[in-house]
Amino acid sequence: MLRTTTGVLARLTINESKTSSSAFALEFVRWRRKPRWLPVAKSKLYRVPERKEQNAEERAELMRLHNNYKLQMRSLRQYLREEVLRLNVTTTADHIVLTPEQEEAEFARCMQENETWNQKIAVERNERLLKERERQAVEIRERLEAARVREEERMERIEEIVRREKELAKTFITHENLETAIEQALANPVDYNFSIDLQGNIYRGRTTLPGGKGTPATSGVQDTEVQQTIEASN
Amino acid sequence: MSVVKYIGRTTDFRGKSLWEILGNLRDYGVGRLIIRNKFQRYEEPCYMRILKVEVTPHDPAKDPIRKVAVTVEKTWRGVINPKPVTIYRTSYKPDYELIPKEEESKYTNNTKKVSEQILANSIEFPPLLREFIRQETGVKEPLMKVHHKVNHNKLTRLAKEGEKPTIECTMGLGTPASPKLYEGVL
Repeated sequence: MLRTTTGVLARLTINESKTSSSAFALEFVRWRRKPRWLPVAKSKLYRVPERKEQNAEERAELMRLHNNYKLQMRSLRQYLREEVLRLNVTTTADHIVLTPEQEEAEFARCMQENETWNQKIAVERNERLLKERERQAVEIRERLEAARVREEERMERIEEIVRREKELAKTFITHENLETAIEQALANPVDYNFSIDLQGNIYRGRTTLPGGKGTPATSGVQDTEVQQTIEASN
Repeated sequence: MSVVKYIGRTTDFRGKSLWEILGNLRDYGVGRLIIRNKFQRYEEPCYMRILKVEVTPHDPAKDPIRKVAVTVEKTWRGVINPKPVTIYRTSYKPDYELIPKEEESKYTNNTKKVSEQILANSIEFPPLLREFIRQETGVKEPLMKVHHKVNHNKLTRLAKEGEKPTIECTMGLGTPASPKLYEGVL
């Protein structure tokens, strides 16, 4: 069966050498079959497969030959399996056989070697640990110093805040100067209204006119007052 | 006169399923004789006597085949099974037949037995391996053990020491079952 494809996919496959020359490639679809899970095809629905006639003699002979072959192969496999097991047990090809005394001596030698290695490694380890301990001590000292500096800075910052607050506390309105503060506020009413012209000039006050008595309110008269009032209200 | 014509695959079975037979009998046919037609190819008697019938739930909408658990005393090729056997998984096969009471003696009186078959214990090696073993060990005709399959109803046995087996095992072609096929070849 043939299926036409564009060259893009075909070029990725193995038939590149055959098909890359033509823009319209042909791909051979070989293993095309109905998947097992699909139902019987409509065209095959009422098909009754014919039962093949078997020659009884031939069948008996084939059965005998088949059984014979299976028996031979089974016996041979068992023999080879046992042979391999036996060889594994008895062979000395892949390892050296030692007498018990030799084994003992070999073991003692191994132990001694292990001991020397252990000692060598212990010396190295102690040196390393000593170094590490010193390094750790230095690190801890540095960190303690850094913590002390940090704490001092923090205390300084706190002192600063307290000093500033104390400064400010002088302007606070208390019970004693409440009356004078009220009187002062009534005597100096603050007008926060302003208007703005196209040039961006600001005219402070509700009734100020451009070119009038207020003029552009950059004179700062009200500004200082506003400032004072804000501070007082704090 | 109408003609009945069957369409479909042919089958080796002949008869009814167990439930088709037992469902219609009094006491579910306990004590009656049943045969499997497939086993009637043997000369030795093959039959089953029903001991107990256990009806199992069945929903025809879900599963068209109906099974039933039947405990039987089984005789196969003249050998009576010492323990009762329960047939359940094969009970749906339409291959069972009920034996009328007056014909039961035909089966029960059949005393034919399987002649004793003795299997060979050893087999020669294949040619090349035989040559290798000859060179290595110096044995002229080396033999290896035969690996026979183990089966629960095997009617043969292995040859004992010094016994002549009735079934020989060879590495060659052996004796043909149908010599006619080899005419002019061998």
